[in-house]
Amino acid sequence: MLKKLAYITLFALSLTSCSDTLDDINKNPNATETPLAPYLLTGTLKQGADLYWGADNNFNSSLLFVQHWAKIQYTEPDRYDVSNTSFTSLWNTGYATLITDLNTILNFSDQQANSNYKGIALTLRSWTFLLLTDAYGSIPYKEAGQKVTPAYNTQEEVYTGLLEDLKKAQSLLSTTNGTVTGDLAYKGDITKWKKLVNSLRLRIALRISDKLSALAKQTAIEATTDAVGVISSNSEIFQFIYTSSPQQNPASAWFETRDDFRISKTLVDKLYELSDPRLPVYAQLPSDASVGKYVGGGNGLSNSDANSQGFAKTSKPGTYFLTSLSPAVIASYSETLFNLSEAVARGYISGDAEQLYKSAITASFNQFGITDATIISNYLNQTTVKYDATNYAKSIGTQKWIAFFGQGLDAFAEWRRLDYPVLTAGPATVLDGQLPSRFFYPGTEQSLNGTSYQAAVSVQGKDLLTTKLWFDVN
Amino acid sequence: MKKKLNRYIWLCILLISIGINAQESKPLIQSKLNGIVVDAITKEPIIGASINIKGTTHGAITDLDGKFYFQTGQKFPYTLIVSYMGYKKTEFVANENSVIINISEEQNALSEVVVTALGITKEKKSLGYTTQALKGKELAETKETNFLNSLSGKLAGVRITNSQGDMGSSRIIIRGETSISGNNQPLFVVDGVPVDNSQLGSVGGATRDFKNAIADLNPQDIETLTVLKGPNAAALYGSRAAHGVVLITTKSGKGQNGLGINVSSGITISQVATLPKFQNSFGQGSNGRFSYVDGKGGGVNDGVDESWGPKMDGRLIPQFNSNGVAVPFVAHPNNVRDFFNTGLTFDNSISVAKSDDKSDFRIGVNNQKQTGTVPNSEVNKTNFTVNTNYQISKNVKIGVTANYIVTDAPALPGGPSGNRAAGVMLQFLWFGRQVDINELRNNRDVNWNNSYYSNPYWNAYYNTTSQQRNRLIGDIHLDAKIIDGLNFRFRTGVDYYNDRRKYQIKYGTNGTPFGSYAEDAYTVNERNTEGIFTYTKKLNDDFSLDALAGFNIRNHSDANNYQKAPRLAVPDLYTLTNSRDPLTSSNILSRLRVYSAYASAQLGYKNYAFLNVTARNDWSSTLPSSNRSYFYPSFNGSFVLTDALNLKSNTLDFLKLRGGWSEVGNDADPYQLATVYNFQTAFDGNPIQTSSRKKLNENLKPETTRSTELGLEASFWKNRLHLDVAYYNTNSFDQILEIKTTTSSGYDTQLINAGKINNRGIEIQLDGTPIQTKDFKWNVGVNYSKNVSKVAILDYDKQIQNYTIGTSGGVDVLASVGQAYGALYGTAYERDASGNIVVGANGLPKADPQKRVLGHYTPDYLAGVTNTLTYKNLEFSFLVDASVGGELFSGTNRTGNYTGVLAQTLPGRDAANGGLNYYYAGTTKTLLGGGTAPNGATVYDDGMIFNGVYANGTPNTQVISAQEYYKASYNISEAYIYSSTFVKLREVKLAYNFDKAFAKRLGLVGASITAVGRNLLFIYKDAPNIDPETAFNTGNAQGLESLSLPTTRSFSLNVNLKF
Repeated sequence: MLKKLAYITLFALSLTSCSDTLDDINKNPNATETPLAPYLLTGTLKQGADLYWGADNNFNSSLLFVQHWAKIQYTEPDRYDVSNTSFTSLWNTGYATLITDLNTILNFSDQQANSNYKGIALTLRSWTFLLLTDAYGSIPYKEAGQKVTPAYNTQEEVYTGLLEDLKKAQSLLSTTNGTVTGDLAYKGDITKWKKLVNSLRLRIALRISDKLSALAKQTAIEATTDAVGVISSNSEIFQFIYTSSPQQNPASAWFETRDDFRISKTLVDKLYELSDPRLPVYAQLPSDASVGKYVGGGNGLSNSDANSQGFAKTSKPGTYFLTSLSPAVIASYSETLFNLSEAVARGYISGDAEQLYKSAITASFNQFGITDATIISNYLNQTTVKYDATNYAKSIGTQKWIAFFGQGLDAFAEWRRLDYPVLTAGPATVLDGQLPSRFFYPGTEQSLNGTSYQAAVSVQGKDLLTTKLWFDVN
Repeated sequence: MKKKLNRYIWLCILLISIGINAQESKPLIQSKLNGIVVDAITKEPIIGASINIKGTTHGAITDLDGKFYFQTGQKFPYTLIVSYMGYKKTEFVANENSVIINISEEQNALSEVVVTALGITKEKKSLGYTTQALKGKELAETKETNFLNSLSGKLAGVRITNSQGDMGSSRIIIRGETSISGNNQPLFVVDGVPVDNSQLGSVGGATRDFKNAIADLNPQDIETLTVLKGPNAAALYGSRAAHGVVLITTKSGKGQNGLGINVSSGITISQVATLPKFQNSFGQGSNGRFSYVDGKGGGVNDGVDESWGPKMDGRLIPQFNSNGVAVPFVAHPNNVRDFFNTGLTFDNSISVAKSDDKSDFRIGVNNQKQTGTVPNSEVNKTNFTVNTNYQISKNVKIGVTANYIVTDAPALPGGPSGNRAAGVMLQFLWFGRQVDINELRNNRDVNWNNSYYSNPYWNAYYNTTSQQRNRLIGDIHLDAKIIDGLNFRFRTGVDYYNDRRKYQIKYGTNGTPFGSYAEDAYTVNERNTEGIFTYTKKLNDDFSLDALAGFNIRNHSDANNYQKAPRLAVPDLYTLTNSRDPLTSSNILSRLRVYSAYASAQLGYKNYAFLNVTARNDWSSTLPSSNRSYFYPSFNGSFVLTDALNLKSNTLDFLKLRGGWSEVGNDADPYQLATVYNFQTAFDGNPIQTSSRKKLNENLKPETTRSTELGLEASFWKNRLHLDVAYYNTNSFDQILEIKTTTSSGYDTQLINAGKINNRGIEIQLDGTPIQTKDFKWNVGVNYSKNVSKVAILDYDKQIQNYTIGTSGGVDVLASVGQAYGALYGTAYERDASGNIVVGANGLPKADPQKRVLGHYTPDYLAGVTNTLTYKNLEFSFLVDASVGGELFSGTNRTGNYTGVLAQTLPGRDAANGGLNYYYAGTTKTLLGGGTAPNGATVYDDGMIFNGVYANGTPNTQVISAQEYYKASYNISEAYIYSSTFVKLREVKLAYNFDKAFAKRLGLVGASITAVGRNLLFIYKDAPNIDPETAFNTGNAQGLESLSLPTTRSFSLNVNLKF
């Protein structure tokens, strides 16, 4: 009997003891521990474009703040009635997806990723940090991705660091350093990446120009004298082009199911005032044909006042921006020209500021499909448009604001820096007549990184929408 | 799979062949015995009592008439030991071949036999820890479709939270949360087979809440349910013991002489119990204005889904159902209540049982058909059970149990997630109070609002979530006697199920214009094989030994496969190929294996002092090889003072002290060692990989829980009063925590192996029989439990102060260092030094930018009181239970205040409701004391002043509209924190057992009829508009009420017939 039982026991053990060891069983069959550089690159480009062009950071926040778009329903964000849970996606996706994926590429061995991948990764990482610091101010930069509770760096430290990073990126990029695939933006054209790097350096140079003018000047000189140069045509725009559903443009996806945004009255009025031919591109005629003209929605209205403007009697943003294939423009030729113009105006580099200003507007017209030379010159020759050398900030600020239509985060940063055009808070806004000057930090920073957060806030000022950031000098 | 099946077939063949070989010759018959076992007081026959001849293995079980029979090689006289659960173990000397044995009920079971870990029965007095059992009858009679609910209030230290509606999940927690981030629900073991109780794919909140898996069991099949409270009782389950164990024994054919048939039929009606209290004075709109054109902003505020519109005084306004004609704007006070149906459940079961001296079997079928309170919701469940044992030789017995469960729910309440406004209560809290629900019922194509919603009936009937689950729980087992006192038991068991959900959204649904279709399939497979040797020996007159040694091999796998057609190509065809876009899909496979070896020994001294020692070692695949093997010891003792010190008196019957210490643990989930990258849907032919945003840990160790338990059990006045007190102190450390980190660390979460949480508590059970006469008995059972938890540390570097368990509506549930588990953390009002709320110049309250702990979800104590009154054959009982202390954050109150649908938003809305008069001076609202406004400005009467002070300390005088007033605190969590204290009349039961004689005349063996009411009323609650017991889901993120479905009250009638 005992012998039989012993057999049974042995048999029972054999039932479950297959050849698999316990280690084999715990090998994850669902995901990989070793990703590939091109797949990570595609991912960051797509997710970066979504982040920059999607609802949270663009049309439900910064595009409202700069009065490019307005809400006709659920107007809380347009009234700045937001909380510290409102601005979390830029922070969370920026750090945990974009920067982490890009750091993965940067940490690859040379066999896993050639130096062009790394140069691109460093460029994109710098762009991500730039978005973060422009929006929030002090951010974890040096210790980001390194520590569980990273310390924050001041904007001065971040911008300075980013200029170094971009310099390094430039040195990593070379047409002889191997091919890059998975690059949906520039299709592996390394020269274009090198131009983007210089354009971003120029962008940062102006961002810090009111604070660190020597560094700004030096950077502007370096960026423009670099052999490859800056973005020099609309075919070199850094943008991400979407395809069809479910990979469609995020604004297009939003309008498929929702109808709560209109183009801002502030912008429409300005475009009418300047007889700007971009108006039919930027806006649609109201669906009620009897209106017969473009009508913007007021910013910062109460829900009922916003509603009462009439869904059918106000203009939606132009279809140019709302098709599934619409591009997410991230760095335009026109912006680069405006930056060059301002760098000249500030005396950083030599050139003709007015001519660059005109070229910038022309580039913007071309970008939106307006190429008729007569229309363009008529526009440029208006006194309301003409470059004002005594107040370049006003000329450049206003035209840059128009050209940035749709690029909410950059429009918001440049509007804060140049202080033009002068925008007025809507009647139902909740900041005592002020407009926002930054994003709140995510509320989770208080619970998850409290010490670092408190240290940052004590230097920068209260974690309020109206706290002015370092670069934003009045 | 096929390979595994083959192995099972081989095992069966092997077992059968053993049986054939093991035939032995029959012994000489020396005596025959016919007996009957009856209750000493009622003289009712006892069914299923076991009778053994002392010192042998020879035994029998009483039949439906309480009779038993055996023939034996022993000569008269010999001693019989009669035992039956809930009765005193009785010795009886048999000296003739016909005997009547009286046994008396052990109201509080002093020498009762209880089921302990691994299904081993032991005398309760020998245990150094607490167990508590419920009979199957108590579970079956309540007719809860999720039987866990029927445990509410009946067991000390056991907390049940029913999530939502009448088809939802229930969460069970024993002695508080001991794991900071992991599962805290106990292990369920059915007839020795560990079974799954996952709540797969539940997203919680306003969307679908899938029933937890243990709810598949049919309470009619349950003989007893025993709760091993905490690590001390459950130590032999090692890495699965930390949260206690619920042992379920199902009914078998034992004790059924001849053929027995049991038929049971029940009907339950249920109604929504706790609906929010709505206002019926103001309809849809904003600022008092509303006029319908297209329901999406084309008219005046007709896209607004709030009730800040005109007064519903019959004024003429175009409405959604009036084709542009102005019709009276009137209230429909019951428009939400009328949406809900009366739920109906039919429950029918039949079982057939038989036993003889060699074998027994029981087969049963149960069908449950439930239509829910949400229109179109329906769940059908059928259980088939088999339980059979066969004595293949004198010393070897084999058996099989199988429970096959088919669940088919064509539509569950609450729509698919991702579909805007699918949540039933979401639409009714963002609602126009004037809406006539009958118009919506009659025409699903129209709706009151087209900006955000589809018609609620459209959602209920077209946008459905269906569920089909096929499940097999079963085992084959063998019991063998090797030599006297040494037995071997072998069992291999399986719990296997497929669970398929289909989510369909119809073409034309608001927000999903092309509709969508998704299939979500889960496969869960849990297999356990165990072998146990047991050895019992009386060492000498004083000492006895009871020992055990065994092994277990556990294999668990689960797989998920999800596919979705994001936009349908043509309407009304729900297949994955009917898609205009590429399908989105994902699949996950997860496996683990644990080897275990264990042993235990009980040393008894003179039947009044006992020492128990257990040891277990586990080897888990989920841990790195260096940390894989871990050892779990426990010891406990019990000392019966009344016997040892001869303290027995007329007052004191029994006094026992007990105590113990144990160490148990918890391994990790699979695949927690190496950080991975996920694939996302490829972009135009370009694959995408991206960080999983979760940093894993290659050096994981198992979690450890150490628990000390002390207790006292006493019985007075011939057992008329029985008291059981337990104190425990549990420390859980090296917790595997997926801590939420700032994303600037590079990850959303990181897996750490730190965390320490302490739980201390006391449990009291008191049972009394104040009145007992021949015909009448009044019994009172009271239970009380208090658990205090404290999160000691989260990480050893002390960098992390908070672990986020969950988030809803801006409130985090935290495990926060130094706090009780489950702190509610959110925004509070900004206050001045003396505590006044600070308002801005605009008269609106300000939020303090610093978030704060606003409460804790864990209650201070739980209590339940059951009164049972028995008169002859009639039994009446009622249960009142209470949960005192703890807080919750109510999304219903937050939303309902914002949208103005709740009755509590009436004060101040017009002059009749105490509103102040004001006018606009420019754009500033200006209070009007009396008279008329300057320059003939319009005067409004919905003015209110928020009770607060300006930053300079002077009282707020700025008038605001009622609409602004009630919206002002939407983003201030503090405003919607309520005490979750409640006292409920949980259950009222009336049962009648027909006389045997009467039953016989009807050709029956027995008959009973039972009426039960459940969740009847709140005796007390603090939180308005909701049931504070409503849970978010079965996870650890409790205390967040989020527009959940109303809980239900039910009435059931059940007839039970025995043939």
